[in-house]
Amino acid sequence: MELEKKLNILADSAKYDASCSSSGSTRKNKPGGVGNGSLGGICHSFSDDGRCISLFKILLTNHCIFDCKYCVNRASNDIPRTFFTPDEITALTLGFYRRNYIEGLFLSSAIYKNPDYTMELLLTTVRKLRKDNRFNGYIHLKAIPGADPRLIREAGYYADRMSVNIELPTQNSLKLLAPQKSKDAIIKPMSVISSKILENRDERKHYSSSPAYVPAGQSTQMVIGATPDTDLTIMTLSENLYKRFRLKRVYYSAYVPVSSHPALPGNIVPPLLREHRLYQADWLLRFYGFKAEELLNADNPNLDMELDPKSDWAVRNLHLFPVEVNSADYSMLLRVPGIGVHSAHRIVAARRHHSLDYGSLKKIGVVLKRACLFITCRGKYYGNISMNEALIKDSLASAGEKSKDKNPQWQQLSLFPSPDRPVPAQVLLPSITGEL
Amino acid sequence: MDFLYDGSFEGLLTAVFEAYYRHEVPERILSRKYYQESLLDQVLYIRTDPSKAYRVYRSIKEKISPLCYKNVYYTFLSEHEDAATWIYNYLRLGWSMGKEVDSCLADEQVLKVHSIVRKVVGERHRMLGFIRFKLLADNIYYAGFEPDYNIVGLLAPHFSARLPDQNWILHDVKRSLAVLYNKKRWTLTPFSHTGFISASDCAPDFQELWKQYFKRIAIPNRRNPKLQKRNMPVRYWKYLTEKQLPG
Ligand code: SF4
Repeated sequence: MELEKKLNILADSAKYDASCSSSGSTRKNKPGGVGNGSLGGICHSFSDDGRCISLFKILLTNHCIFDCKYCVNRASNDIPRTFFTPDEITALTLGFYRRNYIEGLFLSSAIYKNPDYTMELLLTTVRKLRKDNRFNGYIHLKAIPGADPRLIREAGYYADRMSVNIELPTQNSLKLLAPQKSKDAIIKPMSVISSKILENRDERKHYSSSPAYVPAGQSTQMVIGATPDTDLTIMTLSENLYKRFRLKRVYYSAYVPVSSHPALPGNIVPPLLREHRLYQADWLLRFYGFKAEELLNADNPNLDMELDPKSDWAVRNLHLFPVEVNSADYSMLLRVPGIGVHSAHRIVAARRHHSLDYGSLKKIGVVLKRACLFITCRGKYYGNISMNEALIKDSLASAGEKSKDKNPQWQQLSLFPSPDRPVPAQVLLPSITGEL
Repeated sequence: MDFLYDGSFEGLLTAVFEAYYRHEVPERILSRKYYQESLLDQVLYIRTDPSKAYRVYRSIKEKISPLCYKNVYYTFLSEHEDAATWIYNYLRLGWSMGKEVDSCLADEQVLKVHSIVRKVVGERHRMLGFIRFKLLADNIYYAGFEPDYNIVGLLAPHFSARLPDQNWILHDVKRSLAVLYNKKRWTLTPFSHTGFISASDCAPDFQELWKQYFKRIAIPNRRNPKLQKRNMPVRYWKYLTEKQLPG
């Protein structure tokens, strides 16, 4: 089959993976080599769905022995199948890279023959790129569940980031939709990678010359809306993944119907708003000091669709507000709706010189429409309603509605690969950088 | 009184120098490039003097901060007609406050500079991604583009670190400026040649493959042209390989 046809088939099969982030690598180019990492990541293009294209995201093959019900590549699906050779992937990656189309490669694969065989091929490919072609651009590599840990361990020396997709949030859901995948087969490679990362970090403290192991960390992805799992289950899982395996990112991917099966929801629209809310809640866990149990509990197991999770939390905790912006500590400022990480930092920096008046808050980047309900400034409260849960909720929701009408993009913002570090605010939109 | 400088960065720094030593506070500092004289204006023509410019440069770096110098330079690159005036006002505050000037986030002058710097930094960052090289017949990678701000020089260090083993040209078509790189070093130079011929004999055709890939990687159920345009403004499409029609 000619290269172009293969590319079409395998890009088609790869497109459902949400991650395309190229951040977190400081890999330097070496003499005689090509490419380097860019810590904050770089978007090279934006596809017709508005998502950032940073990496050449491709499958080695879409031949699969498994039959996961939610996946286009499942064995029982009737689609054209093909595979690339490691040399073909290498040539495409370098050809694209030299023209500045991409930051690097995101290589994944369906399971061909068996997990070891597939992992071996992936390993050969990245080794070719790094060693034979001295490629120092970004490489994100999938670890195949069930593959020999030895292979996974070696692959990590060539990759900047690795990921194992957790796919579904509970064992039950896995049983239902991905019966050949077990929780253990997924968790195992994750823990292999995470302990190797720790070990490597230690090593490098003593021997700075030892090669970096998965320097941009690992990530994972789960499908949202294909199973009845609650947001509470999902966020608790994410929290544990961040804690236990020190994951850099958990990606949430709204289920796009790719097949009809009795175990799957019918012809649904992808739950994009829910996906967006999960990303917002995820930001709160990682950068705002929130715990999953503060955002959700058995009585409220799902995120509010009308209010963003931070506003929702604030409304349920009105006894903590209003806070005085000129004296509240940083961690409390972070919890005020309308104040993001950037603006909290700037408030703390600016008020060292003189106390801030209400007008200057706006210049600093505070979204006053929301924040005014939760703060005082020089002792004065500027919200035009009283501290009443129902009233505030109403006022927030209608503010949200209005902005929604103007910018219907809220539904897809979240798929943007939020960089692990802030990028110039103008390049990314506020809700992407998690300025909530 | 307005000061007029020749439009160069040295000229601008010289104007700042003169403003200090003549004890004449200019109302505005303007580039001759954009200046439209009117009968009522009182203007002083500043003659660019590299040694005066150098003294200002040293003083900014040492008495204020390297960050402040970067802000001044990036503001200059914005080519905004008020850029020099903003810089002057920002520097006056800087010399009175020292490096703390950049945390004065509620100050009007500081905000103006910061916000234009953010735009220039933002476009530079965007361009790191949106630059598209074509391979020309004589083994040179060529990229034309038309940035809003004068950032071609800011891109050069990135690409010489990343693609050191190929010859390349970054061409700001709008300003007739280019960075030329020959596998050893880069230079910024006036440049106006266009109409290059792509290498035709090279297989595979990466441009065609990239266009195919671009089409396939979008999820049809999530089509969102509005979001696409917001992230990748249409004014940049002219030079994006994936946005060219096939053929
Ligand atoms: S193993 Fe991966 S590629 Fe194969 S069906 Fe399951 S999810 Fe799809």
